[in-house]
Amino acid sequence: MPGGDGSSGEPAQALAGLRVVEFSAAMAGPWIGRFLAWCGAEVIRVESRSRPDVVRLYVPPWNPDLGIQPRLSPWFTDWNAGKHFVTLDLRQPLAVDLAKRLVARSDIVIENYSAGVMGKLGLGYEELQQVNPGLVMLSSSGFGDTGPCRRYVTWGPNIEALSGMSRLSGFPSRECTLTQYAYPDAISALHGLVAVLAALDYRHRGGGGQYINLSQYEATVAGFGHVMMEYLALKQEPEKMGNRSRRAAPHGCYPCRGEDRWCAISVATDSEWESFCSVLGRPEWRGEPRFASLAARLEHAEVLDAEIATRTLMRTDYELMTALQEAGIAAGVVQTAEDLARHDAHLAARGFFEQIEHMAKGVVTATGIPLGLSGTPGCSGRAGAGEGQDNDSVFGSLLGMTPEEVERAVAAGAIEPADEP
Amino acid sequence: MPTRPSGALSGRRVLELADEKGAYCGKLLADLGADVIKLEPPGGDPSRRTPPTIQAGSGREESLSFLYLNTSKRGVTLDLQRSEGRELFEKLASSADLVIEALAPGTLESLGLGYESLRQANARLVLTSISGFGQTGPHRAFRSSDLVASALGGSMAVTGDETDPPVRLAGSQAHVAAATVAAASSLIALLSSSVRGEGQHVDISVQEVVASVSHICGVGKWLDDGIVPKRQGTGLFASVPSGAYPCRDGSIYLMVNRPLHWKALAQWVHEATGNQEILDPMFEGPSSNRLPYREFLDLFISDLMSRLSVEEAYRDGQSRHIAVTPVHSAAAVAADPHLESRGFFEEVDHPMVGRLTYPGAPYRHSKTPWRIYRCAPSLGQHNREIFCDELGLSEAAVQELQAGGVI
Repeated sequence: MPGGDGSSGEPAQALAGLRVVEFSAAMAGPWIGRFLAWCGAEVIRVESRSRPDVVRLYVPPWNPDLGIQPRLSPWFTDWNAGKHFVTLDLRQPLAVDLAKRLVARSDIVIENYSAGVMGKLGLGYEELQQVNPGLVMLSSSGFGDTGPCRRYVTWGPNIEALSGMSRLSGFPSRECTLTQYAYPDAISALHGLVAVLAALDYRHRGGGGQYINLSQYEATVAGFGHVMMEYLALKQEPEKMGNRSRRAAPHGCYPCRGEDRWCAISVATDSEWESFCSVLGRPEWRGEPRFASLAARLEHAEVLDAEIATRTLMRTDYELMTALQEAGIAAGVVQTAEDLARHDAHLAARGFFEQIEHMAKGVVTATGIPLGLSGTPGCSGRAGAGEGQDNDSVFGSLLGMTPEEVERAVAAGAIEPADEP
Repeated sequence: MPTRPSGALSGRRVLELADEKGAYCGKLLADLGADVIKLEPPGGDPSRRTPPTIQAGSGREESLSFLYLNTSKRGVTLDLQRSEGRELFEKLASSADLVIEALAPGTLESLGLGYESLRQANARLVLTSISGFGQTGPHRAFRSSDLVASALGGSMAVTGDETDPPVRLAGSQAHVAAATVAAASSLIALLSSSVRGEGQHVDISVQEVVASVSHICGVGKWLDDGIVPKRQGTGLFASVPSGAYPCRDGSIYLMVNRPLHWKALAQWVHEATGNQEILDPMFEGPSSNRLPYREFLDLFISDLMSRLSVEEAYRDGQSRHIAVTPVHSAAAVAADPHLESRGFFEEVDHPMVGRLTYPGAPYRHSKTPWRIYRCAPSLGQHNREIFCDELGLSEAAVQELQAGGVI
């Protein structure tokens, strides 16, 4: 469980001692800091009331009359768990100066404002590396910071469509298929994390700091570059495979008893096929020439899937999964969020979900951070908090400002007042 | 790799004992400059035969996905079922920084090559294991696949249309995301090892990675609003409007997430179609104000988009600062002038298939540029280089290993 500041005196968390300043919004930027904070880095998030993070504009669907609730968004509080919160009006020179002083004492800057905004604020890499030559800075935006579309507005699902992912995924009967979870935000944040860590490794081995630019569009395409290769090399649109595979059949998602209940099944080899027929109570399929080999099963995939569905509909999803797994066949229930939290004994046994402290709700359950660092386990810390919650400690203790200096900066509007706790 | 600037990970040595689950992890590290040695059984990694393939002369075929997922690596063959093979593996691991493996949990231990044995010879070593369900827990021995991990991890339940079965993403994204997390976690463990002088065993579960990358629809949202997220077509549940809209010659994706963007969109619809209703102030503000009118507003927006070409909708929308993007095909991505101007695609020569175009850098480091150092290795291409020149085996010894089927 949590390493924290171990009493042994030796930091148990992998990235303890690193300091990160984040100028970020939504998920693609903040999620990088979330991982770093989980590993023990001190992450300071700079916010501006003049341009609130879109996730702070949350209206609880369970009571829209409450209006905008900046501290209640389950996404905001998750993506920003374990961070410190300061408020600066970056349109003011004094605020920019304070931001630079934070950066001067830090190792990493992560920003995902629209391309060019940091430069306009006087916080571009050129300026920041003058106050901190060893700085590693990552800028992430939809299109990257060069090219004709660099200022275009995008959100995660836009990138899903733009990258080709939504046209290449799904069933052939649909023009495009999208996730409800803005996959490019996640996959580009993970690539950003790799990029920052590689630059840190280089710096740690004597190479100095550097700037990294990430285009979420390009990172998403890189993640399915192996599919793009078919077009690039053969000039043909990759076939939409849906749940099918070229190397396994049956390979799909089959309906089970109950409403919208499904089990995914992958049968890769002929011996798995034989076991599969037994589990499904259809031993006679073994002798069927239509299904006798992978090539035959692929050729007759349509009829095979229909036949299987008539059998799986009579079973419950978890029972079918267990029976197939016991026979050595890859199978898994199509789990919902509720299933993951309530019915997955495996995830529970691994302690995957974390209980984290939330300033408004008490304790909330958070999806785990899947880094699997067995020697230096991380922890989430406090859920994302109110704007400016840590102004006093960050400007006072870290920057060494006197209470009077802080007051003057507040009076001048450079430091914006904190939320009422 | 002299003369050009070094990569961010130059000097790091990685052994990759991975199948398709882990190959992208090794590629990420290799394209950043790490010396990644791919270890394959003497018969070759089965993913060398993954279709589609391209002709490589004299009747041979190369898998396009294998070519992509194994750039910048060196390759050797090694039979871990043989004691001589295991000895070579131990030798390589004793001077490596990182071993990536994707075998079934417990396999390395059963060969006497588990983390506890490897660390005896190399205390700083990081061992990263990628498996369907992780190294511990009641399902650790469960069989997995990209599809099964997508199902159990929760992403399929929230992908696609509500009237279709749940569906996964193209290109084995459960495995790609797990490989990316594995690369990040390996680097964290390497940094920690550099400071503390002690490596660790990194345990990546593909199921957990899927749950993590799809957590916008996860337990936090469900416990907050009490609604279990399901498939919902192309529109995102929390953003109104959002979704794919048909134009004259294809579709665009539109998403409104800020009150300002709604005003700009309403104005655009009004100017282009004469629609007055859309300007009603009752639709302004956060998405929650528009949620009850979602289908109604979609009709107005569809009316606008059906009059435009994809290119017109894209350029007009973006000039109004509205998040409109085309729904691209692979061909459209390959021809995108924006990517072209950034030089995203890379040309790589391959001795058998010639010059091919590859998707390029996922990120750009100013000092240590990402690049493809070499094309994917042929089977056992670097056996001699690594076993003779680097491990110091004699020519005769290597020939003997080869004759004995060890390499």
